[in-house]
Amino acid sequence: MKNVLAFLLKLLGKIALVALILFAATFALYITNGENKLIYYVIRPFLNKHYDAQVRDKRIV
Amino acid sequence: MKFTDKLIDAVDKKLERFDPLWQAEHGVGGQRSRYYDKTGVAKWREWRGVRDTFYDYSAWLKNLAAMAGMVASAPLPILKGFWEYRWMGSYLGTFMFIDRLFEGYRGTELRIAHMNMYGIVQNLTKKIAFILANDKRLGGGPDSDKCIPFDETIPPLFLKGFKGLTPVPMQTLPEFIICDIDQHIEPYYIDVAESFGLAADVCSRCAAEAGVALDDAFPILGKVMLSTNMPCNASEATSMFQRRRIGLPDFPVTMAMQHAEKEAIPYSRQELLNAIAFVEEHYGVKYDWDTFYKYAEIMNEQNAIELEKWEIFKTPYSALSGIAETLYKLYEWQSANGADPYFNKIDRKVIEIMRQAYEEKYQPFGGKTRHRAFLWGPSAVYYTDFPTWTQNCWGITIVLNMDSTMGYNQIDTSDREKALDDLTALEQRATMRHHAVGGWDNVNAVWDWAKKFNCDMVLMNDNIACKGMLGVHAMMEEQARDLGFHFIFIEHDLEDSRTVSRQDMRNCVNNYMSVVLNEKPLDPTIVEFDDSQAY
Amino acid sequence: MKDLKHLIYFENLLQDAQNELVTKAIEDGKLALGYNCYYIPETLLNLPGCFSSRLRAPRCTSTDVAGYYMTNRTCPYARSILERAIEGGYNYLNALFGAESCATMERMEEHFELLHPVKNERFFSTIMDPPMKGDKNNLEYYKVQLRKNILLPLQEHYGVDISDEAIRKAIDDHNAVSAIIEAIGDHRRADNPNITGYEFHVIQLVSQVCPHELILPYLRETLWELEKREPEPKFPFRARVALVGSEVDDPEFTKLIESCGAMVVADRYCFGSFPSREQITVRDGETAFDAVCRHYLHWNQCARFMDGMKIDQRHHEVERLVKEFKADGVIYENMKFCEFWSYEKVLANHIFTNELHIPCCTIEKEYALGAVGQLRTRFQAFIESLEIKQIHGGK
Repeated sequence: MKNVLAFLLKLLGKIALVALILFAATFALYITNGENKLIYYVIRPFLNKHYDAQVRDKRIV
Repeated sequence: MKFTDKLIDAVDKKLERFDPLWQAEHGVGGQRSRYYDKTGVAKWREWRGVRDTFYDYSAWLKNLAAMAGMVASAPLPILKGFWEYRWMGSYLGTFMFIDRLFEGYRGTELRIAHMNMYGIVQNLTKKIAFILANDKRLGGGPDSDKCIPFDETIPPLFLKGFKGLTPVPMQTLPEFIICDIDQHIEPYYIDVAESFGLAADVCSRCAAEAGVALDDAFPILGKVMLSTNMPCNASEATSMFQRRRIGLPDFPVTMAMQHAEKEAIPYSRQELLNAIAFVEEHYGVKYDWDTFYKYAEIMNEQNAIELEKWEIFKTPYSALSGIAETLYKLYEWQSANGADPYFNKIDRKVIEIMRQAYEEKYQPFGGKTRHRAFLWGPSAVYYTDFPTWTQNCWGITIVLNMDSTMGYNQIDTSDREKALDDLTALEQRATMRHHAVGGWDNVNAVWDWAKKFNCDMVLMNDNIACKGMLGVHAMMEEQARDLGFHFIFIEHDLEDSRTVSRQDMRNCVNNYMSVVLNEKPLDPTIVEFDDSQAY
Repeated sequence: MKDLKHLIYFENLLQDAQNELVTKAIEDGKLALGYNCYYIPETLLNLPGCFSSRLRAPRCTSTDVAGYYMTNRTCPYARSILERAIEGGYNYLNALFGAESCATMERMEEHFELLHPVKNERFFSTIMDPPMKGDKNNLEYYKVQLRKNILLPLQEHYGVDISDEAIRKAIDDHNAVSAIIEAIGDHRRADNPNITGYEFHVIQLVSQVCPHELILPYLRETLWELEKREPEPKFPFRARVALVGSEVDDPEFTKLIESCGAMVVADRYCFGSFPSREQITVRDGETAFDAVCRHYLHWNQCARFMDGMKIDQRHHEVERLVKEFKADGVIYENMKFCEFWSYEKVLANHIFTNELHIPCCTIEKEYALGAVGQLRTRFQAFIESLEIKQIHGGK
């Protein structure tokens, strides 16, 4: 019984730790506006370069 | 007071100097202080106090989850979509867009705003995944031929009577929604259209649609397409290019322009019936009225709740206003249009909160509202987060947008003939249309609306290429003067921010507020700033 | 060629909306009924006791006041009409029949109600909702709109006879004028025509702005004159073109093209004879009113039509004119700030050039011809390209 309780406590502790880490990571990302900085300064310039290089079938059919 | 409340209040007190509203009030900064110059990129997200920041964070997480869900539901088509379509890349600006829209929002208004926004996000992400997963250009899917592509300005409610078929608004993804999220995307398509000789003085929204067609950037779905004469001239004309480029059999659903006249209903009603017959013929399916009634009931509930909201809008105690109202209503009515019961769930929750806030005489935006404005405005409202800015900068609350007064009648679901008439009345009062075409009375109605909603101000978005509204310029000015409204024309070029920049638009209000009304801004950091490189 | 006897008289009639024939008809007790757009059947405005007057704003050089009301970013034709109305140029009108065919036109016509620029106590105006497709539902709607906005108000305000018999009489009147104009226009089909595009433009315009009864004798005489008129010994132009597009009511524009070396052999534009001078036939079992509605919906070439059938019709109609009038190319024009024709011009240019292989030159124009240097250069270059094509055997 004690073992089970200890296991459960341990598991809960682990879940709480993971949740805490997840929270810390996502909240840090959120408050620093991290994802938007990544998108604005890295991802979109890369995508725009690709779009600009595309050969599109521009015509009136 | 509970311990946690005390603790939170203590933390709030300690961190209040990071709150842009506090900074503006104390002359030590404001909303713009936390941005990198020119860009829409904030150095950090807005500190709104513990409770509201965490609410905003949880809303952000929820939206993030919806987007992750979208990718998980169709990973390959989504990736292909990003690679194929320039407009898909712009959807990455969604988080920045949401942040901008709800700057300065606190408490109840923030909660309602996020509830409404989540409604849009969950619907739109599903729509993107569905469309790309069935886009024939990207390989197609099981529902590719079970879609009915239609011009997004047709309210799709009547198409819900086709069991097993999915109405897909053609322009919503590449043009309508995305122009709100990213001011730089449509100029590319406008340039494509103009490179074929299209005059630069036509409405930029329609030029962009033509550009998407000529750039071959519409997803390809379905067996036929439904175009329309709604809302206006340029929109009718641009459909010629879409019809040819997409190459599907086309039925133009031409609704009566003079929709308030009694002759309009029989004509428009027959147009809807002819469109139904056209779809039946090409898809080999039968229209099911019972299925239609089911969705009409969903629409009816939304409209009933909407009318109750309007009663609260008339008071100073409405926790729903500005962008949270107008963008949500636009999407819920025009794009979902009864097809998604999730919006009813939101509406029920929101009206509950609004009732309570009204009971408690809750004054949103810290009671800093100086003017109540009725807005007459299309897209330029959204990509510039204009209502949010008028609120934060000058204390002008946008009570209601004329666009939000689309068809609000109930549909009788007990009798097919009555249902058809009601449906027609509803469909005729579509976005950007019911108040813009069909004669002067429909335009002039804005003053009655403004009066009904206890507004002292009317803001009129003045699309420099909208021939219909340019034609009433002086009459509107004269009416405002005669009726005693503060009236501001806000010049813009709809989807082409190169012609009239966001700052030029803001200056229209700045000039009126400072020169005519001699008022001081609530937040001096957002009176004049450069956000030309922002999405 | 010998000068046409009445040409100078016709030109003078075009100098004012209220010309001497309009004044005479009013003195004779006729009702002057104004309209702007082909959607308003001229025939229904020529019921007994009435005459049609298609509104132009000749010699309009400034639209300052109209610009205040409608801004300077709207169609200059609509603005010029409003300006002229505010100046008092249409005080002779008993009614104006408008159509929400395009937003600017509708707004302009609305100002006739809002500003009361026509100083005529009995004046009234209506604006109809015109159809956008050529199918049965739209034909029925057209009938409803024309009855509501033209026939019934005329009967109610002025006691005009709107019976079937009266409409048949108006059709006869229309057919009589049209037969003459068509016969005159047919002279342009000749390899070396004995009429210029400019002369025809003037003649076609007077048939639209003058009371039919009063202009008919002059037109008839002009037709007789043309039967005998000798053309120039050699075709005096370097090329033949069809002028296609939106509103053109200034013959000087046709003159400009012809001065650059191309004869305008076909006129498919608003105020042109294609469409407007086709014969109306009343089919068995059909009322005269129904025949008028069917006729005008069928022949209407407006760029606002959305259905495939009508879109294709307007391109095939140009193709037909090019073939029948032996045009070497098409000059496609649109009025500045016109949404419909701006789009249509792009599409038509593609269709003519790439699908129908008809050389096409597209231009945008103002209502009042001012600085024409750029246009002249465009026309000259186009005509030169047509000549080069001829030299290379049409390739």
